[in-house]
Amino acid sequence: MPRLFSIMAATALTALSALTPAAAATPERVQVTGEIIDTWCYFSGVMGGPEAVVGSAHHTCALWCAAGGIPVGLLTDEGEVYMVLKLASDDVVGSNTMLELQSDRIVADGLVYERDGLKYLVVEEVVSNEGITNLNHEDYGPVPPFAIPDPTAQ
Amino acid sequence: MKRTLSILALALTAGLAAPVAAQDFAANSQAKPWGLTGEQKARFEARVVDVLCELSGDCPDNCGDGARQLGLVRSADDALLIANKNTQPIFSGAVVDLLPYCGAAVEVDGLLVGEMEPKRLFQVQLIRRAGEEKFAKTNLFSKAWNEKNPELAKVKGPWFRKDPQINALIERDGYLGLGLETDAAFIEEEFGE
Repeated sequence: MPRLFSIMAATALTALSALTPAAAATPERVQVTGEIIDTWCYFSGVMGGPEAVVGSAHHTCALWCAAGGIPVGLLTDEGEVYMVLKLASDDVVGSNTMLELQSDRIVADGLVYERDGLKYLVVEEVVSNEGITNLNHEDYGPVPPFAIPDPTAQ
Repeated sequence: MKRTLSILALALTAGLAAPVAAQDFAANSQAKPWGLTGEQKARFEARVVDVLCELSGDCPDNCGDGARQLGLVRSADDALLIANKNTQPIFSGAVVDLLPYCGAAVEVDGLLVGEMEPKRLFQVQLIRRAGEEKFAKTNLFSKAWNEKNPELAKVKGPWFRKDPQINALIERDGYLGLGLETDAAFIEEEFGE
């Protein structure tokens, strides 16, 4: 009889662990350098290839998307994207601090959580900010093209 | 009897631990295709979460009241997906649409997006609470913006052309973000005769 209870208890525990959310993970402290990007346009290809939906070409669209609540990311030189979940003491959705950093190349110090293949960044400090360094509007123009209203059409 | 129970317990344990990566989440999906990179239709049961709370245990009331990114913990495999977009055409995330379901068990329908495998970015097109019959469309962002900006809502044009926060930055830094002088020169070159 005790054996039966052991089996039942083990089964119940296994079932329970599959149904409850994962416990809070231990983050890793990092300092990462990269550009603040709009993750929807970058991953979905909705506005064009990844080289076109970053930098000055895509700056206005990045402002629109961040203000619209689309997750913002930090794209490193190695092509890794960290989803930014917090910026110093500010939450990120539609925050003015987050908008101020759009398209900028920054060095961020903070905590990284990794789960199911995605990296999530809690920025504790923006150590430095070089501003917009990717001047790709020279190659792509505004992306999308209507980002800059045509003054001759008004 | 004991042997039978042991076998049953082992089978149940193995079943729960089995990988579900091969599951076809596209079954029964009514999601509309958008022609996006790596797009896959997906309909699944999940729990709506504040992503930062889920990861760190830092959990404000009501999933941050709209200031935090929201995600979906999929019931089938406990995978965390970030809700990247709602179903409105451009520039609107899914936070406004998911917030009323904070912590709730739901069923969602939409598109998994991106080249990464397994895919973790999700465009939510439809959502309903577990047990509800009718799906809701995820199209609440513009309405919420209009309610927050009642005077501007009366002005003709899309929200993103009227948003004061965005326009203040464009007026200061230009459309390219490089300063008004660079902007003026580029506009002249791009649109000038």
